[in-house]
Amino acid sequence: MSQISLNINGTTQKLEVEDRALLADVLRDKLKLTGTHVGCDTSQCGCCTLLMNGDTVKSCTVLAVQANGAQITTIEGLASGANLHPIQVAFSNCHALQCGFCTPGMIMATAGLLANNPQPTDAQIHEGLAGNLCRCTGYINIVESVKQAASAMQEKQA
Amino acid sequence: MNARFTPSRQEDLSLITGKGHFTADHNYPGMLHAYVIRSMHAHAHIKHLNLEAVRAYPGVRWVASAEDLKAMGAGNIVNPVTAKGKGGEEQVLALMPILAEGTVRFVGQPIAVVFAVSALCAQDAAELAEIEFEVLEASVDPEQTTLPSAVQLHGNAPRNVSVHFASGDAEPVNAAFAKATFTSQLRVLSQRLMGVPMEPRAVVAIHDEVAGITTVHTPHQGILGMRNFLALASGATPESLRIDANDVGGSFGLRGGPYSEHAALVLAARHLGCAVSWVGSRSEIFLSDWHGRALILNGEIALDVEGHILAIRFKDRVDAGAYNCMMSTFIGTRNLSITMGGVYQIPALFMESEVVYTNTTPVSAYRGAGRPDIAYAIERLVDFAAHQHGYDPVALRRKNFIAESAFPYKTANGSTIDTCLSEKLLDRALAISHYATFEERRAQSLSQGKFRGIGLSTFLEASGAGTAPKDQAWGEFNANGNLYVYGVTGPSGQGHSTSFASIIEKALGWPADRVRYEAGKANQKLLGNGTGGSRSLYGAGSAILAMCHQMLETIKPHAAKTMGVDIAQVHFENGVWLANGSTTTTAQIIDALKNEDKTSLSALGEATSGATYPNGCHVAEVEIDPATGETHLIHYYAVDDLGQVISPQLVRGQVHGGVVQGWGQAFCEQVVYDSQGQLLTGSFMDYAMPRAGCVPHLTNETYEVRTQLNLLGSKGVGESGCTGSLPALANAVMSALRPYGINQMDMPFTAPKIWAALQKAKA
Repeated sequence: MSQISLNINGTTQKLEVEDRALLADVLRDKLKLTGTHVGCDTSQCGCCTLLMNGDTVKSCTVLAVQANGAQITTIEGLASGANLHPIQVAFSNCHALQCGFCTPGMIMATAGLLANNPQPTDAQIHEGLAGNLCRCTGYINIVESVKQAASAMQEKQA
Repeated sequence: MNARFTPSRQEDLSLITGKGHFTADHNYPGMLHAYVIRSMHAHAHIKHLNLEAVRAYPGVRWVASAEDLKAMGAGNIVNPVTAKGKGGEEQVLALMPILAEGTVRFVGQPIAVVFAVSALCAQDAAELAEIEFEVLEASVDPEQTTLPSAVQLHGNAPRNVSVHFASGDAEPVNAAFAKATFTSQLRVLSQRLMGVPMEPRAVVAIHDEVAGITTVHTPHQGILGMRNFLALASGATPESLRIDANDVGGSFGLRGGPYSEHAALVLAARHLGCAVSWVGSRSEIFLSDWHGRALILNGEIALDVEGHILAIRFKDRVDAGAYNCMMSTFIGTRNLSITMGGVYQIPALFMESEVVYTNTTPVSAYRGAGRPDIAYAIERLVDFAAHQHGYDPVALRRKNFIAESAFPYKTANGSTIDTCLSEKLLDRALAISHYATFEERRAQSLSQGKFRGIGLSTFLEASGAGTAPKDQAWGEFNANGNLYVYGVTGPSGQGHSTSFASIIEKALGWPADRVRYEAGKANQKLLGNGTGGSRSLYGAGSAILAMCHQMLETIKPHAAKTMGVDIAQVHFENGVWLANGSTTTTAQIIDALKNEDKTSLSALGEATSGATYPNGCHVAEVEIDPATGETHLIHYYAVDDLGQVISPQLVRGQVHGGVVQGWGQAFCEQVVYDSQGQLLTGSFMDYAMPRAGCVPHLTNETYEVRTQLNLLGSKGVGESGCTGSLPALANAVMSALRPYGINQMDMPFTAPKIWAALQKAKA
């Protein structure tokens, strides 16, 4: 067992975790942040994607002890209070979710993509989401929502 | 919430904020976690099973063996649909026990279940199980499994055949082939697939000793299917089971009934007196979720000199996997036969299919469940025959469409199709896809060294007739001012709540955002079908429409009172109440009522809805790079007649998803076993999935022809995307390759396969 400290969605949490515990499981089981989903065991599906120190990571492939001292943003921390993040709004507007299981990971991957590249081309969006699987939507509306979110975020900054 | 933000679906807000509630999110105090010990062999006798070390491992609370569960009443996995053989023989059935009894017949078959204080602890303990196997020869190939040389899986199934089914009349078909000017034969595979809902299968069960009820949280497609089949599998009474799912992360046909884990966890929750949880890892899911498709379709077509189709016959092979689980018989008999003539007026039809056993994971329904497969086989066959005998594939189709004057049309093997205006849908699809100018684009591509192809499908499918005698919906107003509606069908991403609320808004004049739909009510007494066969919208939706009509009668006295008129003077029209020239709304009437009056308003609606015939015309245009064999989908066009459309946005979304699942089957997905029955595609690293951008441009439209077969007039959309896309995509690939001498190839059309075929054709 190890003692770790994580800054999660702006709040610092001290935790005792098994050395082999995965970040995704600690968030879900210990902190009840069940918006981060686990959809596979080979780091392929992207349902567990979150931001760690500003980078998108798949939290099923990060040991909780590796995240010691990190700043973590999960889907639960993306909105500012009652104000949804433009990516969240765009996903609903564009009907970019059906069952919604992949959605938190898709939204967090999009957040990471747009932070690095605020106006991605279609090809860059496809590449940016290559690590996230969706079985319902065929991705068509997801790609649209990434574009809509990018425009909304640009307008907000302007 | 943002000032101007209204979610486009009722379901969205929780899902985009991480507040969705899926089965694995349940976390009860003191909950135990299960791990399933599975077979590593495709076919073996269990000579010796010693679980003592597992039981003794710290943190382990119980280890369930096959004997334990049988003693507690466990039965088998359910096979709800059977078929008679072609001579009227009874079907041979090999039912899968909840845990293997003496013999294992596929890799991944459950043998024992460990319950421990954590999932990791249960998994660690499971490592200590001592199992001695006597490994047997495995039969993996569905064609070779019926040969005398193949090992027999079940004592009661000679040649590994479960049933040899037939539909139609062979004699007129044989006569038609004898007099035909042209015949063609084409054998196509609809390869074995994984359904892959993104939420892995999971079960959380908790037993209430006082009430005598076990609550089972699990992704499902409808509470009744899951509850009644789970009762059979676990030995519990249906009344003692309460099925519950808040959010379901996809189903695609895989979640209509229980698996071994459901039965084991119900019995464990009762035995242990605490909550128990099993959440499948993706590796386990690849091994043990029912697989899909796994069909070999051997078609023949007979044409006269003018190109009229005289007859079609099929000889099909249906791989059930190791046991008859859930829907494989239904797929391989009813669904392959009911629309085997497609959209064509064909005087003679005959098909036969053999449902066979192999040492592989059992096969059941996956999006379309035989419908995309047979549409694929017909549309490939018609296209193939057109090219083989020098007909234009569009003209040949047009010549053979069922004439508009012929509806309702009874097919030669007994299906009655109410309407299918293929000519109109074809014209529209040809126009929007610029089909007429394709050869110019082909030439342009060729000038850059690329091979371009265009393919089309004109198709129809029979949606689910349902197994329940009718669908019911219950509506009641709550003190908080919302209308609660309960039904049987459970959503898994389709947006049932949003669609049902739209129906209610129109029929009752009640705001859609004040409707709440839930699958199941506390007593779960309603009748109805689950989600499946594209039928929820028109099946449950028709019951909801009927409920609205009843509810209007219930509200009427209050409307009269509110408007101060006699009840005979008030009536409801176009969403408002009218009396003596004044109007009021349902919301105004309900909101003015005292709570006790409000909550006394309720209504039951019911409707009987059989199968419908969604149909369409899809066109795909592709470009192949001969240097790599890679296919790029340039544009996809879909024109669908889905009957009355309730929510255009959700319909577009369903078509997108269906077409891209079709793209997955056409270009990358396949389950592969080695000759010993070991699964080689056991993870997302080996099983290729469609990813963002695979279908970059998709134009879809609807051509609405209301059906009279249900109250709502809708035909269902869940499966049409898959059904139309397999043949359209495959015909496009063949169109690109045909000039180079390649006339037949099976899915998936991977780059290495196409590249190798081109090299071979060149040689």
